[in-house]
Amino acid sequence: MEVPKIVEELKPFFEPKAVAIIGATNKKGKVGNVIFENFKRNKEKGIFKGNIYPVNPKLDEIDGYKVYKSVKELPNDTDLAVISIPAPFVPATMRDIAEKGIKAVIIITGGFGELGEEGKKLEREIYEIAKANGIRVIGPNCVGVYVPDTGVDTVFLPEEKMDRPKSGPIAFVSQSGAFAAAMLDWAALAGIGIGKMVSYGNKIDVDDADLMDYFIYDEQIKVVTFYIEGVKDGRKFIEAAKRITKVKPVIALKSGRTEYGAKAASSHTGSLAGADVIYDAVFKQTGIIRAEDFEHMFDTAKAFAKCKLPKGDRVGIVTDGGGAGVMASDAVAKFGLKMAQLSEETLNFLKENLPPHAVAGNPTDVVGDTDAQRYKIAIEAFVNDPNVDAILVIVLFQVPLLNEEEVIEILAEYAKKSEKPIVAVAMGGRKTEHYAKLLEEKGVPVYPTPERGVRALADLVRYVKYLEKVKGE
Amino acid sequence: MKEDALKVIKDVLGKGRKELVEYEAKQVLKAYGLPVPDEKLAKTLDEALEYAGEIGYPVVLKLMSPQILHKSDARVVALNIKNEDELKKKWEEIHENAKKYRPDAEILGVLVAPMLKPGREVIIGVTEDPQFGHAIMFGLGGIFVEILKDVTFRIIPIEEKDAWAMIKSIKGYPILAGARGEPPADMEALVKMILKVSELVDDLKDYIKEMDLNPVFVYNEGEGAVVVDARIILK
Repeated sequence: MEVPKIVEELKPFFEPKAVAIIGATNKKGKVGNVIFENFKRNKEKGIFKGNIYPVNPKLDEIDGYKVYKSVKELPNDTDLAVISIPAPFVPATMRDIAEKGIKAVIIITGGFGELGEEGKKLEREIYEIAKANGIRVIGPNCVGVYVPDTGVDTVFLPEEKMDRPKSGPIAFVSQSGAFAAAMLDWAALAGIGIGKMVSYGNKIDVDDADLMDYFIYDEQIKVVTFYIEGVKDGRKFIEAAKRITKVKPVIALKSGRTEYGAKAASSHTGSLAGADVIYDAVFKQTGIIRAEDFEHMFDTAKAFAKCKLPKGDRVGIVTDGGGAGVMASDAVAKFGLKMAQLSEETLNFLKENLPPHAVAGNPTDVVGDTDAQRYKIAIEAFVNDPNVDAILVIVLFQVPLLNEEEVIEILAEYAKKSEKPIVAVAMGGRKTEHYAKLLEEKGVPVYPTPERGVRALADLVRYVKYLEKVKGE
Repeated sequence: MKEDALKVIKDVLGKGRKELVEYEAKQVLKAYGLPVPDEKLAKTLDEALEYAGEIGYPVVLKLMSPQILHKSDARVVALNIKNEDELKKKWEEIHENAKKYRPDAEILGVLVAPMLKPGREVIIGVTEDPQFGHAIMFGLGGIFVEILKDVTFRIIPIEEKDAWAMIKSIKGYPILAGARGEPPADMEALVKMILKVSELVDDLKDYIKEMDLNPVFVYNEGEGAVVVDARIILK
């Protein structure tokens, strides 16, 4: 596969050799200070391996780092510039950057197109400079880039106020900076690994389509999530989306669901076509999975990140509570999946090996006096049954005889060695949350309700069906 | 194909109009091989009688005027005309109704069409989105589109798999697949129509703004489908 030039162009954003922080300052809490601190901290930890060059005409040094008076003075290995100076000064700085030959710029600063015509003029000026000099720009009005593995972190919300998630196979792209920051913080708490985060704000240059093309070739990334407010170049988006979904799943959360097309339509068709149904069409046609809300987005993302893809839509359910099993079965129907018809062999195996008061079938109910071994028996049977494509295991950790660590080990072992996706559902409170986290860390996605677990499985199935459809094209 | 359709469109634009009357819209559709009824535009009563004779009674008369686009509101459609006498009477009636509805209406002629046997009604439409360009819509006609808004969209151009997915994704799909003992509808004919509309609009996207094929009658499997009424709005 020939690697397109976008991959080379965007690389400095994610793994720069040297970053210039334009507007770096020693004033705590200032954007230019937080970004500098982020890089410095990651450098000290040995995560960020590049050089850090603060730029500020008024300072000589910050925390032992030499400060450069201007972009012109910067060492020649600088390949990424992060700008946090006020908007009116950005065009002049862009000209210096162009002269210096730096090809990747993140403009954190706000006060551009979002404020009106003056700001739009500035944006156009910046874009012209970028375009004429082959510079790629993320932003303006954004939080930029976060890459835990390389230590790039332009998120100007300080670490003591916002946790950073660990690394992982999920890429997260957000138009909104505030949403991006909140989601990173939440992902850190939820134990969701984010390999790369990009928040592009007003996206005068680098957009969703560019990032999709980049992520096709990013081996670390297994699934891409987008928070989208609006797409500027619809055709470019569609083409890029079709390319990436053939290789990896994309999940999009599009806000503005209730928005209606403001344009006056004279046809019947026109009157039925709000912006939202058009986005729906785009997502369906390009194989993008549309999320209802952020929980849905990350529920599905972690299933893709951790699970193998199912061969079909037949679900097998193991539970230690009858009610939860019924809820899961309902959800299977609701999300268009099928309950697997277990083979004779499986049923016999279950009947022989489970106690008589357990329910062999689908769902298989190992009942409230279960130990971890009954789970092992049921999961083993489901894994071996050719009529089962995906497995949902409900563990109510509250039952008295269940050794939590043991059942976690069993689930993790089968999730790893089985060719089928296995997701877990753990309903409960504080203690359950603790065990759910342990299970997640062992590579099994865990959901707080049967419905959410089944929905994630349904999205895996939907993606597999899309792949089957586009195969051979 | 494209040339014939473009000629119709350019003629209409040349007359300073932005909307094709049914007859013109169907000429455009026909140029792309979409199934339209075997119908003719009569300028005089004598022509109408002649065409009705060729088509065979019963026939339908539809008065064509750029000023009258909602033909049923203006009562300029006469259905199920069984013979010459009735045709003469209806000819007068729809002309009078036209005059009452819009005294200034320019009358391009009267479309003489065969009385079609009823089929399951669907709608195929096109609209233009500012970001993504033209989108095609499919749904069941009548209350399904009017009240339940059971329609689905895709961005043009579409592929065959998209056309199938559209048909299968509407809630009313069982009605096409054959509910309550009915035989299934000719879905292959529908897929072909949807694909042809996509092709047509992709070719003529610089001219076409919106389009409604409403209703389209779809018959039982193997029996095809036909565009009963059509509107095309130009940019």
